Order: sequence, then C-alpha cells, then structure tokens
Amino acid sequence: MQVPTKVALPGFIGLIYAFMYLPVLVVLIFSFNNSEVFAFPLQGFTLQWYLDVLSDARLAKGFGITMMVALPVSILSTLMGALAALALTRFATSFRRFFLVLLLIPFLIPKAILAMAQLILLSELGVERSLITVITAQTVIILPFASLIIASVLIRIDPRLEEAAADLGASRFSAFRRVTMPLMKNGMMAAFFIAFVLSTSEFVLTSFVSGREQPLSVLVASDFRFNIAPTLDALAILIVVGNLALVAIGELIRLRDKY
Amino acid sequence: MSRTAIGNWLAAPIVAAIATICLAPLAILFLFSFFSVDFVNIVKEPTFKNYWTIASSSTYRGLIAQAFLSALVVVCITGVIGHPVAYFIAKRVKSAKSAFLVLLLVPLYTGDLVRIFAWRVLLGTEGALNTLLLWVGVIDVPIEALLFSPLATHVVLVYNFLPFMVLGLWLSYESLDDHLLEAAGDLGASGMSAFRRVTFPLTAPGLIAGGLMVFVMAVGEYLTPQLVGGASGITIISAINDLFGTAFDWPLGSAIAWTMLAILGFFFAASAVVLGRTNWARAVVGGE
Repeated sequence: MQVPTKVALPGFIGLIYAFMYLPVLVVLIFSFNNSEVFAFPLQGFTLQWYLDVLSDARLAKGFGITMMVALPVSILSTLMGALAALALTRFATSFRRFFLVLLLIPFLIPKAILAMAQLILLSELGVERSLITVITAQTVIILPFASLIIASVLIRIDPRLEEAAADLGASRFSAFRRVTMPLMKNGMMAAFFIAFVLSTSEFVLTSFVSGREQPLSVLVASDFRFNIAPTLDALAILIVVGNLALVAIGELIRLRDKY
Repeated sequence: MSRTAIGNWLAAPIVAAIATICLAPLAILFLFSFFSVDFVNIVKEPTFKNYWTIASSSTYRGLIAQAFLSALVVVCITGVIGHPVAYFIAKRVKSAKSAFLVLLLVPLYTGDLVRIFAWRVLLGTEGALNTLLLWVGVIDVPIEALLFSPLATHVVLVYNFLPFMVLGLWLSYESLDDHLLEAAGDLGASGMSAFRRVTFPLTAPGLIAGGLMVFVMAVGEYLTPQLVGGASGITIISAINDLFGTAFDWPLGSAIAWTMLAILGFFFAASAVVLGRTNWARAVVGGE
C-alpha cells in the first residue's frame, strides 16, 4: 500500500468511531447542563435532571415492570438458546438446515409486522395483553441471538473431549454434565446478559403486545413524543450505563477462557 | 438413543415455540389478508380485494418501492463505509481486536429510542449542532434541514446498522489470505484493481450476510423515519400500523404486510443461493 493510506485509513477509522459515539456524548454532556434547552453555550453543571429521574414514581414503576419482564425473558431465551445451540452443533439433527433457518426467522421478520400478526392471533384467541404476552414475544425474538452466542462457544469445544470421557467409561449424560456443561457455562452467562440488555431496550414489539402495565421503554417513548426534556437525557444515560455494565460483565465472562 | 434422536428431542421444544409464537401469528396474518372489512366487522369470506387495492394504489406501491429502495441505499452506504473498517480491524489491528469490535457494538446496546433521542438532541433546529455552529460563528441562521428530512433519516439508519455490516464483512476479512493480496501486487495489480478483482469477490459473502441483516432491519424500520424524518417520515410500515390502529382495516394491513414478507422472502432466497455456494456457509450448515 502507498504511504498516504497509512495515515488516511486510521484517520477514517477514527472518524467512524467518533460518529458512533457522538450522539451518546452529546446526550451525556446535556444531562449535566443546567438548562432546559439543548443549546450551546453550556450553562453550568447540575445533577438536577438525575435527581428528577430518580425521584419519579412513574418511571420507578416502569423500571420495576421492565425488570419483571427482562428476568424471565433472559432466563427462558438462554435455556432455549442452549438447547438450540446443542442441537445445532453437538448432535446431527436430521433437519439441521431447516432448523437453522427456523431459528433465524424471528430475526428476519420485521418486528412491526410480527407484532401486528401477534395482535391478530391474540385477539382471535381472546387472550388479554399482559406481561405474559410481552415475555413470550420478547423471548422468541431474542432466541436467535442467545442461540448464536452459545453456539459460538460450543463450536470451539473439541468434540474429542466428550469422546475421551466416553472412552474412560462416562455415560453420555455424565460426559455432558462433567465435560460439555462446564465448558458451555460461560456462553450461557454471556447470552443471559445480552438477552437481558436486548429485553430492556426492546420497544417495537413490546409497545404492541403490552397491556396496561407498561415497561420503561414504552413510557419513555410516549414522553419523548411530546417533549424533549433534559430529564430524558439523564434517563437515557442511566439506561446506557446500566446496559453497558451488563454487556461488559457478559463479555468478560465470555472472553475469560477464550485463550 | 442415537445422537440424531437426541438432537431432534433438543430441537423439538424450540421448533414448537417458534411455531406458536412466530409462525402461527404469520399464518393467521396471511389468512386475514384475504378477508375484508364491513364498517367495524371483519368479513371472513375469501377475497383478493386487498391485494388488488395494493396493486392499483400508486400510494402503496410507491411506499413499498420506497421502503426497499431506501433500505438498499442504506446497505450500499454501510457497505462502502464498512469495508475499510472491517479491513482495518481484521488486518491492521494486532492486539485488542475484540476491543475494537466491542467498541463498535456498544452504541447498539443503548436501545432504539435512546439513539433516536440522541440524534434529535444533536440535529434539532435549536439543537446541539446548530447552536454550536452559531455560537462558534460558522453559520448565522440555524440549518433547518438537519432534522426532519430524508437525509436525517438516512444518517440515523446508517448509524444504527453500520455495526452489523462491519461484523459481516469482518468475518470475511478474517478468513481472507494476505498472500493473495501480495500475489496480486507482485503480479502488477494496482491497489484499486487488487481490491476489485481479489478482495471484493472474496469478501462478498460477508457483504451479502451483513447486507442482508442491514436490509431486513432497514425495511422494517418505522420509528426512525417517524421521529427524525418529519414530513418524509411516512413509511409503508407506519401505513400498516395506521391500518391496524385508527383506520381499523386489519385485512388490508395484513395484505400489505404479506406483500412485504413475500418480497423479503425473495431477497432471502437469492442471498441463500449465493451464500450456499461459498465454503464457509457450507461449513456452518455442515454435513455435506
């Protein structure tokens, strides 16, 4: 490669990463800015917006509901993802190609279309919209992510380890419990955390199938349609920080014994 | 029990779950697309009326074409930007490779709404970018076209989906043999010609995989156009949305939704055919 690209390429990459972080940075700055409007020059430092968010009872209730959804969703999608990943990587499932496509379908269908389809089915069956419908809907769209994360860990495990265990007299179940299970545990933990984050930030499907109990993402969306206030800034930053902490934990667990 | 039988038993609950929560709703959506509406009642007698309405309405045809064209534009832009980024991470970064990838994915975990909100703050007429430029003295009047324009929509869509494109391309670049590029150079190919004749074809599977992900998400996107696109923010998805909400014409909404799914299905099939010819796709699916 010629000399200019040596400088141009890292420069371009720097710009792209700046582009990716610019919006988050702007929200961060204005969440501490002592003014109702988002405008430069900045008006001084304040924690007012954070205090407002933390003392808002309505948002606190929404946060509670988000947690009540996210916990079962991440447990269910992790367990189901583990089954799917095992079926994909460890066992010669007779319909593997079909199974892989099926697993990706919830990701490939536009969420708004899936949401409306579910609404019709629910109304035809006479099922009330509730947290249960939110949990099932979210689980199925997060399942592809959970499955692929766990499969990415399983695919690196040498199948000869299980064979060796079998040769040494372990039953198939005991070989699974004592060899495969400990090795896939980290993948499941990572999938759990990512699923948790995806569940808390999911909005489109959730807004369609949630009933009277509305999770945080739906509350924030209705606030944000009517006015853009610095409290939303503070809330956004709190959500980002919470999500990042979870993702970081998940990534650390997944990468811990990669090498 | 044989390994195959165990695999089938493991897969069975997953197949059942996806069938009930995802495929059954889509099936009933399909059924509804052949019904019609009489004031507030849904008439359950088969008719092709809805599909005829779509075919004869220039508004719906235009919105459908616009959804796919706009998604294609986003795919192209993310592809052009994504190539150097993926190349850089795969071939130039020696250590901390995973840090670069994770850093690229981090903005994704902020959630749709937080991201759109951030762009509103950044691009508004009274927003951060305009007031900064005014304050510094670069401009005298705020640029109104920053927000609520098709340009704003596309900037945010590219922002949202770029990481997916980079991921797809990065996988391809990781498996690209450096010696091939050296050989092309030794044989007298210029940088551009080596890219066109060696790198681009060999990373095409990544481009297709990443492009397909971006395409699907961009076609189904309605929040971003609605919240940052202003008057240009009407999309086919928001039109379906209205038919299910205020307009109460579920059958027509279902028919448009299924038209979209059918066109998407065509793109999936085409991509699957192209991807199926590559070695790594066979390795993933395995068994052949």
